[in-house]
Amino acid sequence: MFGRHSIPFRLEDSGISIETRRNEKFTIYERISPYERVEKRLGFTEGALTVNPVEPVNLPQEVTGAVEFHFTPIAVMPLSEVEVFLTFPVETGVFSGTGDNFTLIDVFSLAQPKYSLYGSPERGIITRHVETGVSNDVPTVNPLEEGVLSLRIRNAGRDWVWVSRAVFESSSLRIFYGPHAAMSAEMVVYSRLLGETWVSKTPPAKGMQEALRVYQTRRSLIPEKPSYLMEYGVGD
Amino acid sequence: MVFDSLSSPIIGTVTPLDILVFGIAVLVTVIIARIVAIYLKKALGDRVDPTELDKLVKVIQAVIVIIGVYAALPSFDIQLADMLVVGGTLGLVAAFASQRIVSNLGSGLFVIAERPMKPGDNVAIGSVSGTVEQIRVLSTIIKTYEGVYVRVPNEKVFNSEIINYVANVARRFEYTIGISYGSDAEAAIQIIESLLKAHPFVLAHPAPSVFVEELADSSVKIRVFIWAPSRVWWSVRTEMLWEIKKALDEAGIEIPFPQRVVTIAEGARVEVAHAPAEEGDR
Repeated sequence: MFGRHSIPFRLEDSGISIETRRNEKFTIYERISPYERVEKRLGFTEGALTVNPVEPVNLPQEVTGAVEFHFTPIAVMPLSEVEVFLTFPVETGVFSGTGDNFTLIDVFSLAQPKYSLYGSPERGIITRHVETGVSNDVPTVNPLEEGVLSLRIRNAGRDWVWVSRAVFESSSLRIFYGPHAAMSAEMVVYSRLLGETWVSKTPPAKGMQEALRVYQTRRSLIPEKPSYLMEYGVGD
Repeated sequence: MVFDSLSSPIIGTVTPLDILVFGIAVLVTVIIARIVAIYLKKALGDRVDPTELDKLVKVIQAVIVIIGVYAALPSFDIQLADMLVVGGTLGLVAAFASQRIVSNLGSGLFVIAERPMKPGDNVAIGSVSGTVEQIRVLSTIIKTYEGVYVRVPNEKVFNSEIINYVANVARRFEYTIGISYGSDAEAAIQIIESLLKAHPFVLAHPAPSVFVEELADSSVKIRVFIWAPSRVWWSVRTEMLWEIKKALDEAGIEIPFPQRVVTIAEGARVEVAHAPAEEGDR
């Protein structure tokens, strides 16, 4: 389903169908997914729409700019690093436009959204909660439901640390797609209470294409945060 | 003739022409400030948070007007140092003459500096509850939940207890649900927990809590504590309560009315006396 599709087109996968039809003045966009049907009129009849995975913070409505992964605790030796594969919920965005000027038409997901609080109610942040398993290799996923995050965890401290959480700023998320959605990220742990995370801007595997981001369509003047400082702990 | 009368001093060396020039200069800067504000709102409207944009525009407008006034002052042939002395004296006189205004002004500055709330927050200030529309220097504007405009003097804001419902990113709310003694409380708890798990905005951490709180007169009281993002807590609260009610009904778990079991002792006689009917009732 992911990719750029010339109007008119029809896509169908995992119980979701997307169709664009031309009439005299408009293009009718229709998406049918379990429990939901969306129809929109687009003010053009020529061109193409891009369908790709987007930052998973848009559904059912945007309340946060952070994604928090919860996983089985991993013990990391001092001054060592490990690489693990996690999964993340895929939200699929449909965009119209070309170059740097595009807009979000629709966003949908097969994943059940859940939110959480990282830190205290006074100083913490609301996060998209992702409960994930930990794999040694790239796990098999349904591309419309889950993506794969390869996370390299480096313990820069002098003590052993149990890591079971990783929080990312959504504006820094760079999602790539091929057979499935994927990201690669790094996490440096300074202590059990402090860590820093960032997402790589290079594709996790050859042939993967970078996805358009919802964040870019906002044209926000607030600069992107390249990394996120986890000040409320890296474990449970 | 007209020019002569405009050029003749009326206060010290200040002529009507000076006042005219000053007025036109200030008017022009105000117009420029407004044009700049419209341009900024058009250019940045979809990129900057509306409340922040509002502040930015006001600051820029104020700077433009101050520059305009400063630029127009030479038409009066006034030294800035003299103005400061005169302004200071006048300020002192005005302060004594209008203590309430000064008190509101001082309170406003403290409220702005302390930032117990910001535009858009849901608050209760004394007896007024609603959404903060504007925090001005002399007063704070609240739009109540009924849509009514309320102007609260800053002195009152400063001296009142301020409850800000959205200052923290998350907040807790609770329900007490009574089920009948004949119903299975454990099943009811499981049903409620599964509903809470399925709702996106019932936060995973801090986790919700569901437990039997009290064996009351008419029902077993189940207490539910839920944490939700402050921005959406009210909709979560209303949605979840109805979802719980529907799910318990579907599972056959009764939410009873208050009731009292009356046992009449064996052999006791109850006599019911009927009052004689009134004339008008016949």
